[in-house]
Amino acid sequence: MSISLECIKLKRTGFFPALLCGGILAAAVPVLNMTIRWKTYVVVSGNPIQILLDANWQMMAMLNVLFIVAGTCLLYHTEYADNAIQKIKSLPVRESSVFFGKAILTIFMSTLMLAIEAGAITFCAYKWFEIQNTFWSELCKSFAYAFWLMLPCIVLSLLISQSCKNMWISLGMGVIFVFTATMLPPNNFILSLFPFAAPFQIFMNADMTWSMRFVCATAAELIVLGLAELILIRVRRWGA
Amino acid sequence: MNIIETTNLTKSYADFTAVAGINLHIPKSTVYGFLGPNGAGKSTTMKMFLGLTKPTDGSFTINGKRYPENRVEILKEVGSFIEAPAFYGNLSGEENLEIIRKILGLPKSSVEEALEIVGLTQFKKRLAKKYSLGMKQRLGLASALIGKPPILILDEPTNGLDPVGIHEIRTLIRSLPEKFDCTVLVSSHLLSEIELMADNVGILNHGHMLFEGTLDELKSSAASSGYPTDNLEDTFLALINSDNQKRGVVR
Amino acid sequence: MNFISLVSVEFRKLKRSKILFILLAATVILWIPSILNVQLNFHMEAEGISPEHNFFIQGFMGMSWFMFPASMVVGTVLLSQTERSNKGILKMLALPIQRAALCLAKFIVLLVLAITQIIMMACMYYISAAICSAAQDYNFILPPIFVVKEIGLLFLSAIPMIAFFWMLSVCIQTPIFSVCIGLASIVPSVLMINTKLWFAYPMSYPFFVITAEYGKLAARLNTAQVELIPWIPIAFLITMICFGISCIRFGQTERR
Repeated sequence: MSISLECIKLKRTGFFPALLCGGILAAAVPVLNMTIRWKTYVVVSGNPIQILLDANWQMMAMLNVLFIVAGTCLLYHTEYADNAIQKIKSLPVRESSVFFGKAILTIFMSTLMLAIEAGAITFCAYKWFEIQNTFWSELCKSFAYAFWLMLPCIVLSLLISQSCKNMWISLGMGVIFVFTATMLPPNNFILSLFPFAAPFQIFMNADMTWSMRFVCATAAELIVLGLAELILIRVRRWGA
Repeated sequence: MNIIETTNLTKSYADFTAVAGINLHIPKSTVYGFLGPNGAGKSTTMKMFLGLTKPTDGSFTINGKRYPENRVEILKEVGSFIEAPAFYGNLSGEENLEIIRKILGLPKSSVEEALEIVGLTQFKKRLAKKYSLGMKQRLGLASALIGKPPILILDEPTNGLDPVGIHEIRTLIRSLPEKFDCTVLVSSHLLSEIELMADNVGILNHGHMLFEGTLDELKSSAASSGYPTDNLEDTFLALINSDNQKRGVVR
Repeated sequence: MNFISLVSVEFRKLKRSKILFILLAATVILWIPSILNVQLNFHMEAEGISPEHNFFIQGFMGMSWFMFPASMVVGTVLLSQTERSNKGILKMLALPIQRAALCLAKFIVLLVLAITQIIMMACMYYISAAICSAAQDYNFILPPIFVVKEIGLLFLSAIPMIAFFWMLSVCIQTPIFSVCIGLASIVPSVLMINTKLWFAYPMSYPFFVITAEYGKLAARLNTAQVELIPWIPIAFLITMICFGISCIRFGQTERR
């Protein structure tokens, strides 16, 4: 129920079209890159998905994360802009369920974004490479991995936008974090666990242990962030 | 039987005390007028009832339930309207009420009813951010009245309304206890307004409770203290002024 | 009211907005990796750049590619939200002020925010250079004349970009769209600086200019150099168009 409510609240805010455009924009990156520089890439030996992701994922992930940051800022901006949050607080709902509804919605939209991007990768692989037998399972694995690693980023940016009444403060923090993430070396495990940096990781079939470590660490991060949300609500209520 | 009761309810901030140990007694199925000049602590008290700010000391019960243990249960029974109307600007009046209806689990017809009561049916499709001040106020009232909750907390509900609107809302509030067996806590800084609506009044100044009781009791106690009683507005002003002088406040 | 007091009023509106803190945090975060990886500056023989120049230019490249443009997007959100959140804009429009003057005043505030961040950046550079000099026993500190010249270039090249962002936030009422378009437009600047048409894309100017400076400092590195024609006329044109549109559109939705 809370999800359908969150959907109503987002009417006319541009949340859905904006994230969809984000997905299309990120999907355009590999297509454009291949159209212009296909000669560089077709000679590279190896798995087409791996080649395409190596060449484009940095930019695609950056767009994904930026759009998620902007989207989550907006989700709470609608609550704070005309003081609607006060009304919500004086109704018999748990704030955590409001948060949960927003999280599910963002996760759904980011799945859609990833699906569009996966479509673009498939298109590129079909047009410039060869679709092998293992292609589909590889594609699923890569994007399931990308999806999983994106979850902490979604939850953390929601947490940030929930804790800041001014949209531009949460946006500013989000932007700073995205920037920090781009500066962190992707081959350092601990630093790459930073929720805004993890989405830049690419699933590596060759190094399963590396990838599995990320999968487990992400699960731990989600638990920690969930607890942080509960604490934030407590502190908010009691601090007011 | 008192449906809302407070014991030494206090809210202090770093540099001043908004509410200083007040004891309120609001009987069931009555209209209780909460009176005081701007900044007396009326809104703060009401916010504490709704769990929007935390009391620094003291406690209160609403229908026998305590905050914070029974927060959700309390909020299920209370319709509220606090200060500036709170709404989603990007949604129409109807959609705003629809959200509240869903959260409260009310039947679909309740949105129409609430719109009808406050006279917004005509403008229900308009975006809330395009509403006039009076319409926003009406929307806020509708969101408090929706589903006819047993307890209503209304903070200066007639602010920004035109004379006809003020009259409508006053008549509505007056009729609620009989019609729906509803208890209303309504605040105002105009005694003349409270006089027309309330069974009991509580007068607040600088966070202190100056008087609590029926209007007749107010008159007799004022008379015994030597304040003017022929006009209640003057009684109220005299009461506040003498309290201000006692506290050495210069206004 | 004269224009200067109008600008000072605009600054007063930013009181307690914590924007300076955000700008500062960005520059601090930017230099930390440079300090930690300072040894890398000694292995740049292939490019033929001196360690102190490399230290400086790497930091400024990081800033000009994403941090600085993104901070400006945040700045535009700040300016438009302070006006819109409590309808302050209606009051401003009801005062006897030219709308264009108000728009210009806000644009100047944005430019000052840009200068502020660039100066913070330079200060952080000196602090981190001093730290590294002490740690590595090598002088990383560059003469102020050089640094001032570089940051001046960075600022001037950023003006068209800032004008573009300002136009976005004035014209697009839905904040999420102006933010998304702004942020998304920064990302492709990495691609744009490698093309011949870089001068048509204002978001890539600061990054291009700093990359060109990198090429000048590194003897064995060939980066594209700034060609003043057609860049300067086009940049001027873009700035004027963006600014003109902002002035015309400013406050128009509120006046409907």
